[in-house]
This record gives sequence, structure tokens and C-alpha cells, in this order.
Amino acid sequence: MSSAAISLPTEAPARPATRRWTGGISALGVAALLVLPLVFSGYWTFTLGLCFANAIAIISVSFLVRYAGEVSIGHGVFVAAGAYTVALMEKYFGLSLLASLPIAAAVGAVLGIIFAFPSRNISGIYLAVATMALALALPEVLLHYSSISGGYEGLYVKLDAIPGVAKSMQRYYLPLGGLVVVVLLLRHFRRSRQAMALLLIRTSAHAAESFGVRRSWARLSAMALSAGIAGIAGALLSFSSSTVSPNSFTLWTSIFLLVGSVVSLYSLSIMGSIIGGLFLTLMPLLLAGAGDWVPILYGSALLAVVLGVNALPAKLRARLEGGQA
Amino acid sequence: MGDLIGLVWSGMVSGCLYAMGAIGIVLIYKSSNVVNFAHGNLAGLAAFLVFGFTGGIFANWAWGPAFLVTLAIIVAVMALSYFLIAPLVFKSDLTSTIATLGVGLIAQGVTQLIFGSNVVSLDLPLPAWKTQLGPIRVTAYDLAVLGVTASAIGLLYVLIERTRIGIAFRAVSANPFASRVCGLNLRRVHLFSWVVAGLLGLVASLLIVPTTFLSSTSVSSFMLQAFAAAVVGGFASLPGAVVGGIFIGVLMNLLSFYVAAEFNNTYLLATILLVLNAFPKGVLAVRGGARV
Repeated sequence: MSSAAISLPTEAPARPATRRWTGGISALGVAALLVLPLVFSGYWTFTLGLCFANAIAIISVSFLVRYAGEVSIGHGVFVAAGAYTVALMEKYFGLSLLASLPIAAAVGAVLGIIFAFPSRNISGIYLAVATMALALALPEVLLHYSSISGGYEGLYVKLDAIPGVAKSMQRYYLPLGGLVVVVLLLRHFRRSRQAMALLLIRTSAHAAESFGVRRSWARLSAMALSAGIAGIAGALLSFSSSTVSPNSFTLWTSIFLLVGSVVSLYSLSIMGSIIGGLFLTLMPLLLAGAGDWVPILYGSALLAVVLGVNALPAKLRARLEGGQA
Repeated sequence: MGDLIGLVWSGMVSGCLYAMGAIGIVLIYKSSNVVNFAHGNLAGLAAFLVFGFTGGIFANWAWGPAFLVTLAIIVAVMALSYFLIAPLVFKSDLTSTIATLGVGLIAQGVTQLIFGSNVVSLDLPLPAWKTQLGPIRVTAYDLAVLGVTASAIGLLYVLIERTRIGIAFRAVSANPFASRVCGLNLRRVHLFSWVVAGLLGLVASLLIVPTTFLSSTSVSSFMLQAFAAAVVGGFASLPGAVVGGIFIGVLMNLLSFYVAAEFNNTYLLATILLVLNAFPKGVLAVRGGARV
């Protein structure tokens, strides 16, 4: 599934200005989000906390699309891995979120490698199918090992991450902090050799291989990074919602993550991913009364964005889709 | 031993249906490089339409007219869903594959909206005939499945080997660029594969219903088995899809009898991962290097 030429930084002169501009907007936005809990409270901070965690999960899907040109229909599983890691660490070792967050990321990354490994040498559709099977298999496994996973009811995450701070504030600021950190790390990553190698593989596998970048290795590392980010998202999601259960990680979760990623135009920025996160978190709330319309609206939104972007002029499209990966 | 033979037999019967689902996926993939994740949902919608026409939601028709009307609707639906994503097909495989997920979501939503999310049962108009052949219990349903599958595959073979559109299909799947240079209309070939895939999906989903029950999600989860079958056979191989379908049918039957029944999707996942490791291009592929 190689596609969409990536414009590597050829448009250098125009770049810094736009970057400073978007950087300024993001900083302003984050500042606004930082003071938001002082104005709104309760329900809205809770929902926004979930939205930030979802935004990180969406970034993990977008990362895979941008850097590997692959689509995963199973990222809900890596999110679930992170979420359950946090819950199990608390249940068995009494560890709080901050201690188990790195473990959750590592668990996600290892799972990602395990599932990308068999398809490392062949085209990306196999990864998509394998991740779809993964998403369908997860609830079965969780329900079978219910003594560990808590079965249908799931597990609770109760421990404070930062003692002495109101719980609702923790549930808001930790995902927000996580989102900012992930985005900054990815921005840093974009300038690394590794990111160059991944983008080169995506643009031309043959050229990259002649430079000594192995395709299978690129596939595995992109998947590991992406699944690791998803693990972080899951950890923060379980903390913010204070519960994990198999119900919140079905195939639909994974498909909706992909929808959110498409709606955010595979953005790896704070604002872009929050737009996707808001779409994902608020849509079901707004449509609470219209249960059966939800898949139709999500599907239409997905088609509308994909077709709409495709209808844009080529230059604009290149910038939206990959120019600033 | 008697158990085993019986299980293999019934596994082969359901494997035929997975094979038909897998052929649809492979047809679309071979011609347009799109993995159609909407296949299961569209097939599910088709089965529900037949249910609607025979069970009194739209009409109380006999099976014949209900099937024919549904056939016509499905041809239209498949054409519509192809034309929806058509602007993307030549631009990006990834984007068009994502778009099929959108089509699938809409199909699923429409199914739920019209028919609700309850489980319904749909009976095929088959005689209640059965016989015992040694350890194998053969029912009219089994024979119907085998007969329908054999004739569908036979028809498809003739279609692809002998007709103009079939030759065009083979040309396009071998080399789309060269076929375009030779003046073939690629869109027409794509449309052909989408419509044929939809018809196979309709037949497969109708035949699978008596063994499971019909719900808005049952057919799409059945399609995972079709995807697994396509992976086992190599995604781009039509004979592979048949072999893979039967293999998956038999394997799932054996595993759920001898190990545990509630792990169906987990077995499929394990099968997909193992097969990808052992036969990256499918069991029928000839191993060899690639020319760069």
C-alpha cells in the first residue's frame, strides 16, 4: 500500500513561518485548555479528559498511517493492553498510574511487534487483516480469563497518581499532559534519522533498501512505536474513566479510532488530534438517543472526509496528507 | 474416528461458504487493489433483505421473487458502493480501503435501522431430507451448500476463462497499466468484480444463516473467516480462496470440538499469524525471489 507522494522538506523557505504560526496557535490552544477547568467543572472536565486520552490513541493510528502507510483496524487492542496493564498493576502491585505508564507503553509496543512480525515482509493488507482478527479475538480472551481480567465488569483504577490533587483535576491534567508530551516527542522524532528512514521506505521501498534501510525492520519499528503510543493512551484512558472492561474495546473501538484519525486528517498535532478526539468522544453523547444512526453517521463522516480531501487540489492535499508528517 | 470424519464433513460444508466470501474479497482485491472491509456488512444486508421480503416486513413473497428482487438490489448496492469510492481507487489503495470501512459502517447502520438489532431466524426452502453415510450425516442443507458452491465456482470459472469481461479481468489483475494502454476500461472491470463479489456474498450469507441465526453483526463476523481464508490462500489467488475456505472451515470445526468452542476468533487470529509466518504469500504460492 504505497501511495501519496510525501513531500520531504523541499519547501524549506516557506516552512518556518507556517511552523511558527501553527506553533503559536497550538500554544494558545494549550494555554486555553490549561485554564479551562477553572471555568467549567465536573462533567466537562471528565469528558475532556477522555477526549485527550482518545486523542493520543488517534495519534497512534495516524502515526502508523503517516510513517508506515499502513492501516490498522485493531488499535483498540493496544489501547486495551495499556489500560489493562495499569489496572492490573494497581490490582496486584499497588502501583499508581505514573509508575505503570512506562510499563503500559512497553506492553503495547511488544504486542505491536508480535502482531506485525508475521507480516513484516509482505504487503500491508495482511497487517490490516491480522489486526482486525486481533480486535475480534480480544473480548473472547478477556472474558475467558475473567479471574484476572475481571470478566464483563472489568477492573477499577482508583489510586491517585499525584497525591493531594483533586481527582477530577488529575483526570483532566494527566491526559492533557500526556498528549502534549506525546506530540512534542513526535515533533522531535520527525527530525530524527529514524523518521527519515521510515518516510523514505514509505516513499520508495526499493530506493530505501539500496540505502540499507530494511523494509521489514521499518515496518516493525513503526508498528512498535505506534502501539506503544496506543498503550500510553490506554493507560491514561483507564485512569480518566477509572474503569476498564471488555465492552470498551471491541472491533468498533478500533474502527472508530480509525474514523477519528481520518477526521483529524491523520494529524500528529495537538489541535488536529483533539478534533478527532472530540469527534470520537462527543458524537456518541450527542447521538445518545439515535443509537442506530451512529454507525451511519460515522461511516458518512469517514467517507465525506476521505472523498472531500481527495477532491481538493493536489497541492493542498499533499500538505494535508503528508507534507508535514 | 467417527467424530472426526463427521466434523471434517460439516467443516467442509461451512468451508464452502467461507470460500465464497473469500472469493468475493479476492476478486475485488485482484482487480482494484482494494481490500473490501464492507464485504461482510453488505452481505449481511443482503440476507436481511431476503428476510424482509419473505418474512413480511416489506412483503410476503415466495422465495423465488424475493431472491430475484434482492439480487437486483444488491447489484445496485454494490455498484453504488463502488462508484462512491471510485474517485479514490486509482489514487491510493490505503485511502480506498479506509473508505470501504465507511461503506461497511453505513451498511451496518442501515441494517440496524430497518431491521433492528434483534436476532431473527431465516429458513431456507429446503426439504427436510437426510441420510446417514457411515459416520457422516448428510442433510439436504449440506447438499444444497455443496451444489450451490460448486455451480457458483463453476460459473465463475467459465465467466473468467471464457468471456470477454473475464479475459479483461485477468488482464487487469495481471497488469493494470498494460491493460489500460491496450484500451481496456478498468472501471468496467472493477464494477464487474464488485458486482460478482456482491452476488457471491449474497448467496453465501443466505446459506450461512440456517447454521447461526441472522443478526446485524453475525454475517460480518462470519466474514472474518472469509478474510482468514483469503489470507491462507494468498490474498490474490482465486483457487487459493477456495482451498483456504475449506481449510478454515475444517480447522475451526475441529478446534471448537476438541479444544473449546468460545475461542473462535482467537483461533482465526492464531491461524492468520501462523500462516503468514509459514506461507507469506499463501499456501498455493510458488516460493521465489522478486525482480526489482
